Amino acid sequence: MTAPPHQPAEPILEGRSLHKTYRLGRVEVPVLKGASVSIGRGEWVAILGASGSGKSTLLHLLGGLDRPDPGSGGVFNRGERVALERGSATNRYRNRSIGFVFQFYHLLPELDVMQNAMLATLVPRNRLVGALMVLAMLAGGLAGGILGFLAAGPWGLLPVEERTAVRAWILAITTGILGGAVMVAVVQVVQSLLVKGITSRGPAAAVATRTLGDFGLDHRFRHRPRELSGGERQRVAIARALGSEPEILLADEPTGNLDAKTGREILDLLKQRHESGLTIVMVTHDSTVAAYADRIVRLEDGGVVEDRGSTPHGP
Amino acid sequence: MMLPEPSMYAALLANRYLTSRIIPLIAVAAVALCVALVVIVVSVMSGFLDMLRTSGRTMMGDVVVRYPISGVPYYQDLIDRIEALPEAEAATPAIDTFGLIEMPYGTEEGNLVETVQVWGIEPVSFSRVSDFENILWWKAPAPGEADSLRADDPRLDESKDRRADAMAMRDQRTAEPGIVMGMHMSIFNERQSDGSYDFRNGMDRYWMPGKSVELTLVPIKGGKLSAEPEAREFAIVNEFQSGVFQIDKNRALISLGDAQEMLRMGAGVLYDTEGELDPETGGPLEIGTSPARATQVLVKAVEGVSPAQLRLAVSDAYESFWKASLADPERLVKPPDPFSVTIMTWEQQLADIIGPVQKERELMRILFSIVYIVCAGLVLSIFWAIVYEKTRDIGILRAIGASRPGILGIFLIYGLVIGLLGSIMGALLGWLVVSNINGIHDAMGEPAPVWLTISAFSVAGMLLVFAVVSAVKGSILRWLMGVIGFLVLAAVGGGLALHQGFLLWDPSVYYFEDVPNETDWFTALLTMGGAVLFSVIGAAIPAARAADTDPVTALRYQ
Repeated sequence: MTAPPHQPAEPILEGRSLHKTYRLGRVEVPVLKGASVSIGRGEWVAILGASGSGKSTLLHLLGGLDRPDPGSGGVFNRGERVALERGSATNRYRNRSIGFVFQFYHLLPELDVMQNAMLATLVPRNRLVGALMVLAMLAGGLAGGILGFLAAGPWGLLPVEERTAVRAWILAITTGILGGAVMVAVVQVVQSLLVKGITSRGPAAAVATRTLGDFGLDHRFRHRPRELSGGERQRVAIARALGSEPEILLADEPTGNLDAKTGREILDLLKQRHESGLTIVMVTHDSTVAAYADRIVRLEDGGVVEDRGSTPHGP
Repeated sequence: MMLPEPSMYAALLANRYLTSRIIPLIAVAAVALCVALVVIVVSVMSGFLDMLRTSGRTMMGDVVVRYPISGVPYYQDLIDRIEALPEAEAATPAIDTFGLIEMPYGTEEGNLVETVQVWGIEPVSFSRVSDFENILWWKAPAPGEADSLRADDPRLDESKDRRADAMAMRDQRTAEPGIVMGMHMSIFNERQSDGSYDFRNGMDRYWMPGKSVELTLVPIKGGKLSAEPEAREFAIVNEFQSGVFQIDKNRALISLGDAQEMLRMGAGVLYDTEGELDPETGGPLEIGTSPARATQVLVKAVEGVSPAQLRLAVSDAYESFWKASLADPERLVKPPDPFSVTIMTWEQQLADIIGPVQKERELMRILFSIVYIVCAGLVLSIFWAIVYEKTRDIGILRAIGASRPGILGIFLIYGLVIGLLGSIMGALLGWLVVSNINGIHDAMGEPAPVWLTISAFSVAGMLLVFAVVSAVKGSILRWLMGVIGFLVLAAVGGGLALHQGFLLWDPSVYYFEDVPNETDWFTALLTMGGAVLFSVIGAAIPAARAADTDPVTALRYQ
């Protein structure tokens, strides 16, 4: 029942004979049974299937959010295997190579629209701040420890008869912890100010501002997700996925939670992006949504049953 | 590297999580209350135990050289040697013995006679070693102290200042030898709940200074000379309050000279009792001078020197004094050898008083380690709930490429800031309460002010109205909160109305006038450090668990 995989001219993302089995209590449920799919650069592929066909699982595997069963093939980005068993490689892949859009938006409720849209650009670690924090912590700990030692001894915090070496050390360690904690808190304050600067100026802020502007969210930068409509939230989620300027956008039922009109607006946004070169892989159970794609991959019972080109750029 | 690594999103999220919800405030408050609780109770308890422990010290300095009954001769030389030590600040001789005292009151059959522990002292040098001058009761109050005394306190009467008499051990009006008695020797000195002594029964009639007592001492002497008890009249020149009941109840002080005379320990002619008789007088042959003796030498340590260190130095000084005396042909009477003399620190000397206090302190430490564990559990469970609620956020962050250590970093900072703020606020709160504990205690001792009762009842009434309105509007949560608030405030109001004031720390029971109000900073710092550590650990464990979950699984949490 598995259809021969379609081979695009320039594959950018491939899943090769992917298996995935979930364990529900004692029962093993195979969800993907050797599905293969190959996405070409600049394609818009819709993965169509009924509920339980394994389409979301396939997308999660392609996006590195989940791992295929051991020894069952793998995910290839530009022909290179994505090392999903290695944490740092996976993180880099999730952060840089792909952008992921969920059906339920999954915005962080405590952050405003601008901060949500910029989140992916804030993820890479900052070695300078890291070094500063470690240095500050060590300096604070050392200073606290010395002060504690002095306090225990010559400064007379302890009465003469209780001035033992053990007590002095205990106090020095305690004040060392407190000193280190104070310095970490200070660095945290400095860092928060830095983040404030980054999220209002800087190149990443400019990208997010432009994207949000394109999506018609100019006046919403400082709003929280709960103050937005479903369509607006999904637009912020797409802006977030595009924040680190990935080549590939993976969207899991991006319109599944929206009414038909808002859904069309979202798809039109994706279409614009696609036309300017973005590769899109979209999971849906709705054939009218799938019609927006260049190519439809139909999934049934964990395997690809159909892989064909669609009418380009939908109704 | 698996160390928590700072990224900008970590700083941003830690900040947002800390500032945009009420739950971090609750966590800060919980940590602060735990820290304040420990600081307050440990400070007051260890202050109380310290008071008990050190009050014994006020009468004896840090180290005591003791050779009871026959005493140490040439003690002045010993004192000079001890005072030359860098560890010693001052030293003073004393004689301790027992006697009978006939009090200036009694029944028709005669005055009351009691046993008494008598110390002969040199008041001036004794004051340098002990707190003698400060614990005298009948002296003009210090400039700041006068305001805190009751208006009818007899010490405000200048004619009752007997400091000079006590320091001379003479009644300066009659030139009689003086005696200073413990405050509780007279049965009329009854301690009141404000720490003063009430003289309702006619103050002047039972005011001890100026009255006379008869003191009987028995010289105890080895050898062939018989010892007759000797009784002498002494004028009471002052009374003292050391803070240890046993001492204040049983001890009287006279001058060292008087004690030496009555106990035949003063300087005198030395006769040869076994050899030839004096051809001129027919009596025993005079062979030199017998030195005055003291049964104790009390030593005070220089600031910063522990009693144990001082004890070693004094032992060495005694040994050199003994060797010098053996070598000196002028000294016919030899001091006891270093093994017969006991040289003890004040703690060793007062072991029977200090022992139980030490045990109580151990007990308190054990109880408080349990309180610590309870507080740690509380902090852990609060953080568990907070982080669990954030599992979905963690899934989202993992999905966009956040590393596990990065996620851990968010919550390490989160826990650290909460722990730090909580412990600083807790220590501050604890310090405020401990510093003002006497004011709080006094306020508790008074009936509650009427305005407070009225305001409690008014707020209760308002909450009742609020509850009724909420019930009509159909909000069960507001109704419930209103009812609970009403019940609590009505109970508080009722309690305030019934409260007639009680003293937890009754000075007539506890002997100290004030509740200890020194913050125990060692414990406070230890508790603060512990609170920070527990907050960080408490936040890190559930965060690490959530960061280990696959993003797909974590995203299913709603």
